[in-house]
Amino acid sequence: MVNVSKVTMDYATELKGVITMPQIGWVLDSDERNAVQKQYQLQIATEPSFAETVFDSGEVESNQSQHVIAPVELQSLTRYYVRVKAALTSDSTSTWSDTASFVSGLCQNEWEAEFVSADSDADAENSKGTYVRKGFTLTGKVKEAYISCSALGLYELYLNAVIDLAKEKLGITVEVEQRVGGADGDNIVKTRLASGDMADICLYNSGSLLNALNPSEYFYDLTNESFVSTYDDTYKETVTVDGKVYGVPVASTQAGAILYYKPDYEELGLKVPTTWDEFLANCDALKAAGKTAMIGTFADSWTAQVPYLGDNYNIIAADPSFAKNFEAGTAKYATTPAGVESFQKMVDLNQYYNEDYLAATYDDGCDMLANGEGTHWIMLTQALGNIYSLYGEDVDKIGVFGVPGDDAANAGLTVWMPSSLYVNKNAENMDAVLAFMELYTSTEGLDAYAGVIKADGPYCIKGYELPDDAYEAVKTDMQAYFDEGKTTTALEFMTSVKGANCPAICQEAGSGQTTAEEAAAAYDEDCKKQAVQLGLNWE
Amino acid sequence: MNKKKIYTLWFLIPSTIIFSIFFLIPLVSSLFYSLTVWDFKSFTFVGLDNFKMFFSERSLSTSVIHTLIYAFLTCALKVILAFFIAIFLTSKIKTKNFLRSVVFFPNLVSTIAVGITFAALMHPTKGLFNLVLSTLGAGRIDFLGNTSLALFSVIFTDVWKGVGVATVIYVSGIQSIDKTYYEAASIDGANGWERLKNITIPLVRPAMNSVIILSLIGGLRSFDLIWAMTGGGPGFATDVVSSVVYKQYAAGFYGLSTAGNVIMFVLIAVIAYPLQRFLLKREES
Repeated sequence: MVNVSKVTMDYATELKGVITMPQIGWVLDSDERNAVQKQYQLQIATEPSFAETVFDSGEVESNQSQHVIAPVELQSLTRYYVRVKAALTSDSTSTWSDTASFVSGLCQNEWEAEFVSADSDADAENSKGTYVRKGFTLTGKVKEAYISCSALGLYELYLNAVIDLAKEKLGITVEVEQRVGGADGDNIVKTRLASGDMADICLYNSGSLLNALNPSEYFYDLTNESFVSTYDDTYKETVTVDGKVYGVPVASTQAGAILYYKPDYEELGLKVPTTWDEFLANCDALKAAGKTAMIGTFADSWTAQVPYLGDNYNIIAADPSFAKNFEAGTAKYATTPAGVESFQKMVDLNQYYNEDYLAATYDDGCDMLANGEGTHWIMLTQALGNIYSLYGEDVDKIGVFGVPGDDAANAGLTVWMPSSLYVNKNAENMDAVLAFMELYTSTEGLDAYAGVIKADGPYCIKGYELPDDAYEAVKTDMQAYFDEGKTTTALEFMTSVKGANCPAICQEAGSGQTTAEEAAAAYDEDCKKQAVQLGLNWE
Repeated sequence: MNKKKIYTLWFLIPSTIIFSIFFLIPLVSSLFYSLTVWDFKSFTFVGLDNFKMFFSERSLSTSVIHTLIYAFLTCALKVILAFFIAIFLTSKIKTKNFLRSVVFFPNLVSTIAVGITFAALMHPTKGLFNLVLSTLGAGRIDFLGNTSLALFSVIFTDVWKGVGVATVIYVSGIQSIDKTYYEAASIDGANGWERLKNITIPLVRPAMNSVIILSLIGGLRSFDLIWAMTGGGPGFATDVVSSVVYKQYAAGFYGLSTAGNVIMFVLIAVIAYPLQRFLLKREES
């Protein structure tokens, strides 16, 4: 028995953009002793059927299985298929190997493109970081296409699914300008709004930051558009200011919740808990079975605050006006029972963490959860995307439930809402913009988006069913909370007061250095600094 | 006496301008801004509120205590350890030059790199230190996770890295001691300990003073090593004034962080200046 496995081209199993024929290598798998290759046959073709080959070595007597050179002149931008078969000195012969393939680059120097560059040298000099861009539209249905690109500096190349769809369905061409994130990007948006220089559509945060932007002055009121009626109510609140709806959700939601390793639950016959006590009972059971019940990744201190942030559903459920009073300075965590409880939960969890929870990082957490080295991890569901990229389909071993509270009948999920697209009040092409927004929120638009980027949470559109290849945790576990309407946004969407030391305070509570009361009081004190900076009148 | 001025005072102008722009003006303006809440564009005057907050909030006030522990302990350890290493390195040993290089090497590595490396070595389960400890049968020690130990683990690393410079200063001090003192003492029958006590220690005092002042000031404003190893954590267990200043600044509390800088300035001045006076006086007597 002999098999040819792992055909490589210049040591790579996948190769793009080569301009000379790569050297071919392969690995022999055999259960015989003293197996030595006697001969091989190598074929290269431009279609996967190998009906016609560009090169066929015939049966070559050789023990060479690396650095095999095939005298092939490559055609530009072509996919070549490679397969090998080999025979041993014992005369056992393999079948054809799995077909490997590579794509050639521009081999004959037929580079015809021009550099996309700034209008003048002065422009390039004046700008801090010049961003030049060229958009193009793909015509016709594409099965496979190759793009050759090169740049002086850095470049980014992307195909925008929804925008392409808009071109196809509505005949609208959408031009995208990219802005920087963070505080600088914030300033750009504010300045361009104030100076009346805003594009027709503007991407900006939802929630409390939108409030601060004074949307009624700049943005078109979408309240009466038909697509707004399909919005999830929780999302709708974050883009509603003074009773008017302004935004269109640009991506999926995500949640701050408990990710858990489902095989452990099956093994011990555990149920998804609906109250905090049930959850602790599950942790005890896991601990008794010799498992690590909780994953702690405190070396990345921001992860320590997710249990507190993700508990907002329970705080708001206990006191719906908490966020408003908190911003006004009348409600405090230390004096609100649900608020103290939120910190108590972190203290409770301390005994269940992995041994190295203070030294483990977010990346370690992804590994531990995917391999079942820990059962629960309180984290943002964006971790699903990281786990998917590392472990592929294993991501479906992971389930999600919201941080439980006291009331079994009211177990909910704390959700982070996506940023939103806002329509400029004075848009030049208002009809086109509205049609684009409608498409963006339609099933077709969402499918196109989800086809490119897998969702970390359900979309904010009622009745939209996630595609089949969505993560199991998103499609079933998280979607259920949305269907029942049991979601609340994180506190940062309700008020801009957030203590800067939140990670360190949560780290203290979670590592058992402080009691819940002390942590809550420390957090109130910390928030006061932010309130002073924001010019709020506390006390 | 008819003492004529040789140079006109105008020659002071260039250096005065540079000193004012880069030192005096920032100093005065930071004193002012520490009394305000400001965001680069506008400010509100709040009196001493920032300072009150700094000393009343536990997470901030503990940083002052940590700074003092850190500075005095690293200073003491460096002064003592480096002295004995220097004695050893100036004695008659083979491979003297090699050993001197070895002692100095840690100082050539970037502090951040040292911090990251030691944080990895001190990892509670995967770190080399704990692997060795558990092989020897001793229990594991959570060097950076245990809140009562974390600060001392960082201090240990700081001493490991900084002892080289102190040693070099000592070595130069010891080598400049005239050999004849030792000869005379030997003829009078003094043993090794007596020579050390009565000749080396008194005569190496100027070098020792430099080491004390340098390592104390270095310890008071230490930031990079702590930031690389613990980021001030777990919780606030290893926060020092400079890391607090950095964190407040990053959070956008410019007034508060400026107040922290003023506190650090005062702290260093109040400790270093009298100490310098005291040491110099002792040296002269």
